[in-house]
Amino acid sequence: MRLNSLAFRLFATAIVSTMLVLPLAGLIIYSVYRQEVEEGFDERIRQLLTIVHADSIDRAEAEPGAPGQVGEPLFFITHSGWYWQIKPLAGAPGQHQVSPSLATFVLPSPFEAGVEPDAQGARWMNAGGPNDQRVRIAETVYAFGEEKDAPQYSIAVAGPLDWLDARVAGFGTQLAMALTLAGIALVAVTLLQVRFGLLPLRAIENGLAAIRSGKAARLDGELPAEIEPLQQELNALIQSNQEIIDRARTQVGNLAHALKTPLAVITNEARDDKSQLGSKVAEQARLMRDQVNHYLDRARMAASAGSLVRVTEVLPVAEALQRALERIYRDKGVAILLECADEARFQGERQDLEEMLGNLLDNACKWARSSVRFKVAVRRPEPRGAQPRLIVSIEDDGPGLSEEQLRQIGKRGLRLDETKPGSGLGLSIVGDLAHSYSGSLGLAASRYGGLSATLDLPAA
Amino acid sequence: MRVLVVEDDPDLNRQLVQALSEAGYAVDSAPDGEEGFYLGETEPYDIVILDIGLPKMDGISILEQWRRADRNMPVIILTARDRWSDKVSGIDAGADDYLAKPFHMEELLARVRAQVRRSAGHAKSEIECGPLRLDTRTARVTCAGQTIKLTSHEYRLLAYLMHHNERVVSRTELVEHLYDQDFDRDSNTIEVFIGRLRKKIPADLIKTVRGLGYRLTQEPDEA
Repeated sequence: MRLNSLAFRLFATAIVSTMLVLPLAGLIIYSVYRQEVEEGFDERIRQLLTIVHADSIDRAEAEPGAPGQVGEPLFFITHSGWYWQIKPLAGAPGQHQVSPSLATFVLPSPFEAGVEPDAQGARWMNAGGPNDQRVRIAETVYAFGEEKDAPQYSIAVAGPLDWLDARVAGFGTQLAMALTLAGIALVAVTLLQVRFGLLPLRAIENGLAAIRSGKAARLDGELPAEIEPLQQELNALIQSNQEIIDRARTQVGNLAHALKTPLAVITNEARDDKSQLGSKVAEQARLMRDQVNHYLDRARMAASAGSLVRVTEVLPVAEALQRALERIYRDKGVAILLECADEARFQGERQDLEEMLGNLLDNACKWARSSVRFKVAVRRPEPRGAQPRLIVSIEDDGPGLSEEQLRQIGKRGLRLDETKPGSGLGLSIVGDLAHSYSGSLGLAASRYGGLSATLDLPAA
Repeated sequence: MRVLVVEDDPDLNRQLVQALSEAGYAVDSAPDGEEGFYLGETEPYDIVILDIGLPKMDGISILEQWRRADRNMPVIILTARDRWSDKVSGIDAGADDYLAKPFHMEELLARVRAQVRRSAGHAKSEIECGPLRLDTRTARVTCAGQTIKLTSHEYRLLAYLMHHNERVVSRTELVEHLYDQDFDRDSNTIEVFIGRLRKKIPADLIKTVRGLGYRLTQEPDEA
C-alpha cells in the first residue's frame, strides 16, 4: 500500500480513529464497572453492618453482645477478609468482641481516627487488616442511654479491598483483551472494506490499460454512482482526443493540398523562365517545397504524439505496401519477400507505421537489384511482462553504402545519389517517427549486398 | 500518343497540357472529376494524368470505375496528399504510378514515357525496329545510326507505330491516339504524314495493309 493512495488514506483514518475510540471506550467502561462494583461492595458492608449492629444490641441491656446469625459464613473463616468488631469506646464497660475470622487482630476505629459520619451515620475508612490485608471498614457508634456520658461502642464491619481490586483488575484485563480483539477485527474489516470499496477503481485502471494497449476503445461496464461521472468524463476525453487528432490530420492534409499545388505551378513556371529571376524563383520554390514537407511531417508527428496510443495490425499494412511497391517498381522487377509474424501488432497509429515502412521499402526498392527482404518479428524480452518489441528489418541486394555514407545518411535532406528520385527526407522522418515512439532506426550493411534498415518499435 | 490530364487547378492544368504537348503528345484536359471520368471512359487514351483531389468526383472513384469498366490505360496519380496510405489506396484503386506535388515536369514526363512504353510491352527506354531506333527519353529517331529530322507530327506518328511495331494499326486508331478530341477526323492528314515518313526512312518499313491500316515491320515483303 503506497503512502499516497486512497487505500492508505482510508486505512490510516480507520486505524487512527480506532486507536483513539477503543481505549477511550475501554476507560469509560472500566470506570463505570469499578464504580458499580465499589458501590455494590459498600452496600454489602453496609447491610452486614446493619445486621451486626441490630443483632448485637437486640439482646443487650447495658452493653452490646456478640451478634447471632448474620448469614455470612466468611465471618467464621480465619483471615477471610470479612470481619466484624465491637469495641467499647473511651473506657466504656464491656468486652472487645470480634468475629472468629479476625482472630486476635484489632481493627482501627474510624471514629477514633476522626472520620466524619455519612448521611446514614456510618463512618468509612480503608485500613490495614490481618496478614497485610487491606480492608474497608464501616462503623457506627452506638450509645447505651440518652445521657451525655452514656457508654459508647464502636460497631464495625470490614470487607476485603484486595478482593475488590482483584475483581476490578480481572475485569480490566478481560476488557483490554476484548477491546484489542475488537480493534484487530476492525482493522481487518477496514482493510477488506478498502479493498472491496476501491475495486471499481481497479476496474477503471484495467479499462484504461485495455485502451492503451488497444484492446478497447472506451471504458465500459457498470460502475458505482460515485465514479460513473469519472467514467463518462474519461470516455469523453478519449473521444475528444481522437477527434482532435483526426481534425489535426485533416487540417495538415488540407494545408498540404493548399500549398503544394501552387508550389507545383510556381516550380514549373519558373523552370520555363530561363532568366535569372526564373532560376532564383525555382531555387526558392525548391527550398519552400522541402520546408513544407519537413514541417508537414513534423505537424503530423505532433498530432500523433498527443494521441492515446492505438494498436495497429502489422500484416495488413505490410501486405498493402508490398502490393503497392511491387506495382510501382514492376518495370524493374523487384520482388518484396515478406515474412511477417501473424501476431505482430504495433503500438501506435497506423499512418505512422505506414510512413516508416513505406519510406524504408521505397528506398530499398529504389536501390535493389532484384529483391527486397522484408521481415517483421516480435521479440518478447525477459522477464515476462516487459513490453514486447517489434523488430522490422528491410534489406535490399543493391550496391549498399560505405561506412562514411552510412554515417552521413539520415541527416535531414541528405541524398547520396541525386539521380534516384525522391526528396531525400525519407530516412530522417523514419528515424524521427521511430524516436517519437521510443523506438530506433538502425542502418547497416546487409549480407545480401545492399543496405539493411532495422526498426525497433513498441509492440502490443 | 494521346494523353488525358484531369487537374482542377487551372494553372497546373495549363502547364501540364503545355509540357506534354511540347513533348509530342496529343493532350486533352478536364477541369473536374465528372468531365475527366467521361473522357476517360469514352476516348482511347494511351495514358492518363489524374489528380486525386478533384471537384464533383474524386480521382480514386474515377479510377475505380474505369478499372471496373475494363479501361486499362496506364494512369499516373497526381496529388498533394503524399502519405503512404494515400499512395496505397491509389495503387489499390488501379493506378500504375504515383507522383506527389510539387513535382518536376521532367520527372512527370519520364514517368509518362515509362508507362507508355510498359503498356506497349517494351522494357527499355529505346525501341528498335530493323535499322530504326527510337530513344523515348530524348525523342530522337535514328536510322542505321543516322539521326532523322522529323517534325513533331511526323515524330508522333512514327513513335506510335514503333511502340506498336509488328502490329496492324488502323487509320482510326492512329487518329484517335495522335490527335486530341478537337481534331477533324475526316481529313486525310494521316495519309499525308505516312507519305512523308516513307521518304525519310526506308520506305518498305511501313507497310500498307489494304482495308486494315498500316504496319511497321522489319520483315521483308511477303510478295
